[in-house]
Amino acid sequence: MNKSILYIARRFGFYLIAAFAALTLNFIIPRLMPGDPASIIFARFKGKLKPEAIDAMRESFGLTNDPIITQYASYLKGILQGDLGISIAYFPEPVSEIIGGGLIWTIFLAGSSMVIAFLIGTTLGVIIAWNRTGKLDTILPPALAFFGAFPYFWLAMVVLYIFGFSMNWFPIGRAFGNEVNPGLNTPYLLSVLYHAFLPALTLVFVSLGGWMLSMRNTMISTLGSDYITFANAKGIPSRLIMLRYAARNAILPNLTGFGMALGFMLSGALLTEMIFSYPGQGFLLLQAVQSQDYPLMQGIFMTITLAVLGANWLVDIAILFFDPRTRR
Amino acid sequence: MNNPIISVNNLSVEYVTGIKSVQAVHNVSFEINSGEIFGLVGESGSGKSTVVQAMMRILPPPALISKGNVFINNEDIMAASEADIINFRWKKISIVMQSALNALNPVLSVREQIHDVLKIHKGLIGIEADNRAKELLSLVDIEYNRLDSFPHQLSGGMKQRIVIAIALAIMPPIIIMDEPTTALDVIVEREIISKVIELRKKLDFTILFITHDLNLLLEFADRLAIMKDGEVVELDEVKNIQKGGKHPYTKKLIGSIPSASGVRQKGLLTKPDKLTFPKDPILEVKDLEKVFQSSNIFNKQKLIAVNGVSFKIFKGEIIGLVGESGSGKSTIAKLVTRLMRPSAGSIYLNGQNKKVTESRNVPLEYRKTVQMVFQDPFGSLNSIHTVYHHLARPLFRHKLKDQTEMFPYIVHLLEKVGLTPGDKFAKKFPHEMSGGERQRVAIARALSLDPQIIVADEPTSMLDVSIRMDVLEIFAKMRKENNLTVLFITHDLASARYLADRIIVLKNGAIVEENASEKLIQSPKKEYTKQLVTAASPGWLSSLGENFEKKEEYNDQ
Amino acid sequence: MNNKNNLQQNSIFTRWVSGIIENQKAFSGSCIILFFALVAIFVPFFINSPTDFLGTPLSPPSFEYIFGTNGQGQDVFAQTICGARQTLFVGFSAGILVVIIGALIGGIAGFYGGRIDDILSLLINVFLVMPGLPLMVILASWLPPTPGTLLGVLVLTGWAWNARIIRSQMMTFRNRDFVSAAIISGESNIRIIVVEIMPRMLSLLASAFIGASIYAIGAQVGLEFLGLGDISTVTWGTNLYWASNDLALLTESWWTFVPTGLSIAIVSFALTLINFGIDEVSNPRLISERIWRNKVPKELINHGITPVTSQNE
Repeated sequence: MNKSILYIARRFGFYLIAAFAALTLNFIIPRLMPGDPASIIFARFKGKLKPEAIDAMRESFGLTNDPIITQYASYLKGILQGDLGISIAYFPEPVSEIIGGGLIWTIFLAGSSMVIAFLIGTTLGVIIAWNRTGKLDTILPPALAFFGAFPYFWLAMVVLYIFGFSMNWFPIGRAFGNEVNPGLNTPYLLSVLYHAFLPALTLVFVSLGGWMLSMRNTMISTLGSDYITFANAKGIPSRLIMLRYAARNAILPNLTGFGMALGFMLSGALLTEMIFSYPGQGFLLLQAVQSQDYPLMQGIFMTITLAVLGANWLVDIAILFFDPRTRR
Repeated sequence: MNNPIISVNNLSVEYVTGIKSVQAVHNVSFEINSGEIFGLVGESGSGKSTVVQAMMRILPPPALISKGNVFINNEDIMAASEADIINFRWKKISIVMQSALNALNPVLSVREQIHDVLKIHKGLIGIEADNRAKELLSLVDIEYNRLDSFPHQLSGGMKQRIVIAIALAIMPPIIIMDEPTTALDVIVEREIISKVIELRKKLDFTILFITHDLNLLLEFADRLAIMKDGEVVELDEVKNIQKGGKHPYTKKLIGSIPSASGVRQKGLLTKPDKLTFPKDPILEVKDLEKVFQSSNIFNKQKLIAVNGVSFKIFKGEIIGLVGESGSGKSTIAKLVTRLMRPSAGSIYLNGQNKKVTESRNVPLEYRKTVQMVFQDPFGSLNSIHTVYHHLARPLFRHKLKDQTEMFPYIVHLLEKVGLTPGDKFAKKFPHEMSGGERQRVAIARALSLDPQIIVADEPTSMLDVSIRMDVLEIFAKMRKENNLTVLFITHDLASARYLADRIIVLKNGAIVEENASEKLIQSPKKEYTKQLVTAASPGWLSSLGENFEKKEEYNDQ
Repeated sequence: MNNKNNLQQNSIFTRWVSGIIENQKAFSGSCIILFFALVAIFVPFFINSPTDFLGTPLSPPSFEYIFGTNGQGQDVFAQTICGARQTLFVGFSAGILVVIIGALIGGIAGFYGGRIDDILSLLINVFLVMPGLPLMVILASWLPPTPGTLLGVLVLTGWAWNARIIRSQMMTFRNRDFVSAAIISGESNIRIIVVEIMPRMLSLLASAFIGASIYAIGAQVGLEFLGLGDISTVTWGTNLYWASNDLALLTESWWTFVPTGLSIAIVSFALTLINFGIDEVSNPRLISERIWRNKVPKELINHGITPVTSQNE
């Protein structure tokens, strides 16, 4: 058991390093740009913004005349205190407050649709790898691969167009209706599910095929392994072989893949939010891009990175639970 | 014959992999009597494992049983329904699979894997199943607290015993053992086999034992069948086969097994007329040490692979470095060929201290002098290049031959190692040749630079038994003709006895004993060497102190 | 040598290539890609300029404009075809660069091991867990909106995945005997990596290239859709940007975004098909069972029980 704790600690250490790298990247990027970042900002926003807003932005980037190390130190100190600077679009609101409201929606939408896609995809992968005489194995992979080929946001546009604008079956924006009171009451929760349905559906559909296919392929190679033949010899019923012997082993590389793909999948979720005007990080990011609100963009980058790192850590713990080889 | 418990008639198996299927087993028939130990012997690819897996109908796709029937306890397995087959497996017949090391499900504990069988076939669960599981583990000499271990936490020998315990779980009348000890060291192998034979005495079951090692079966089987290319070429009682057998293939198999004990057979390998070595060694290693360390800050693990090894080799000598897996013998090969940097100690070549460096800084001169032949001839050749490329590259690199001389020289080299016609072999790719041919190419490559020393790391252990001596003969001949020095690394004491002039026995990274080959075999001084010699000699079963019937000596032509 | 030609005939390499050509999926995928590439290169010379104001904005498909016009009164058909040019060019270039950088970093990490590997794999893993889109957005918003910027951003956020795969394959090759044998015969490390090992990774590198191109096309379209590309050029991404900017959904003018989206999907799907084909050729297990299943009568196939075709002859 001792080794499990070490493993968890080691992974945590890695994510700390990754978080630190992201922080540093966040600090460096504006300073790496050709020319002096302060004057870029000045040039871009001159006339568009009040001088005090420009000053606030400079300040939030720590773009003072101090040596770069001092700038870096005060930047890190600010981040640790939860200070992500002042937004330009929502001047003078601090970035951390704007982001705080949207984070929960992104985690809800992206998290639940990723988990659903993973569960359904993996189950389908097990079934088609097991039942390879069936038509399912010839039809499903290319069909889902075709869905997977669409850009997330484009499919979201089409779905929204058909079911939102043309048919009026589903809402065309927001996370819940005007008529409900946020809180733990049934109308509110139903409204939340109703609003999340279409965006979640597109996310699930696009990512389903990938999980199914990789599960199918690992399942097929697992089915060729010696312990499956041995289990057959032991007279173990085929249902048990499929689940307890084959799928149980085949899921391990897929779990690792799930952690690795989180960041990538989240990007798709952000784009989908933009289409559905879903009030998460993606929607905020779109507004930040449109108004060139750099502090907000960088704040979103930081929070999303931290969320992905945290989720990865949870996946690592799940792997620990599923794979005895990591335990000792 | 009295009523056989197993009867296999004209069994044929195909693998459907393309338009034409590959016939893996063709018209195999044999009968096994109740209580017998029946052996099935064959080299890799002979179809022996296919036969037993077909008998239980557990061959995975793309296999197809195209002909024949199998009766077990008078029940026709080939005509049985699905339910009958599931029901008969493990109750009537169990199997210890080849590569049993991979036969255990990596994510289930030993307890769960034993429980699965008990629950399905006997309905035992909970404490009852646990008690039975403990009983089974004690049968195979494993402590019951291992029940909660996972396969990756067990050694090879332990996994093997657990698979045997699972095979015994519900006491079937027949147990198939398919190469149950191939992956294990010789001493562990002997222990496990004597355990099985002891258990059979106690519990009384029929054994069908499959192996590539004829020697092993001659020790304890009652009757055996010899398979070649999917067919049974000889089927007889062991005592008749010991006399040499009837089929030429059996004769060849019997004749190709050197023995680690008894009187030395004459003329097995070429020897120089007289053995004299110069006073100064060509290669000397002093206090060689190699420590592997995982650089993880959270758990520092140290493995001492080689621990203070010193020895000398003289020009024209063949030294046998003998040890089991984990003895550090292959690490020594890598240190001597400078593929790895030793942690401490020094290497002298022709009296010069060769500075210890990373492998990429080793001077070409050293590479030219010391060459190596690897264990796996498929792995040591690059499948995308032709034989010509493999032999020409070193010559280019060391600027030994120019374009015009290259091809004739390579043809000459190939013919020297027995690959004729050389110009045809030069154009082949590795996958177009047999294992023995590939190993000859690997030897030719090592010889191409005309080195003074060749390090041969288990050069025959991946080859079929019947061609091993032919490959060793190449080294013997090269030594006689070119005064080549060979460091022969092997786990097989018997082949070291015949090829090497001197043997060094290794254990856990250190030298146990060193002596002239014949002396070391005839009068081993250390306990460990004695164990090794006994394990590699006929009659080892009886020498283990059990009262097994002694088989007669067979190898004294 | 005069026999150089016959030497090559039976190599693993040529068998692999002919396997890919014979594979239905890979073949049809390649045909689609080739079709799009040819159309993107040659057809723009014969059609309307995609940037000219031609007809009433947002007019639906008609004989004159088969895909209709967009909010700027431009020909959607012309935009779809001309947009393929830059999108595919940037996408495939990014694919190649990603594989080269991945092979370089992953290859070096896997081959040398030790400290070098520790540092490089930390770098790889850090880039791997960082969410791509927000990082791309930050980079692209600070930099001038040129195709070069896009390419750089795509490569920077995409290389790590391939580097990781190539590293782990390199590590398995590094410990193979044929590499040790090459070292012992005196070959230099660079030569070993390039001549001995890389050709063995051919199918991995090919599918890595295709995977990276799919990623690059998708990510590039996404970035441009956000307005982070050069919105004055015609690409598939900017087509969608303008469609969304001109309120295609509210005005229910589906024809402004459907042709471009379908084209992207077809190209990605064709690339996926090629990768399926590469998978099947390099991992025969995936299809070998299919041959078996076709030959064995269906009623004889049972899980875990070897079929018997003829009994008691």
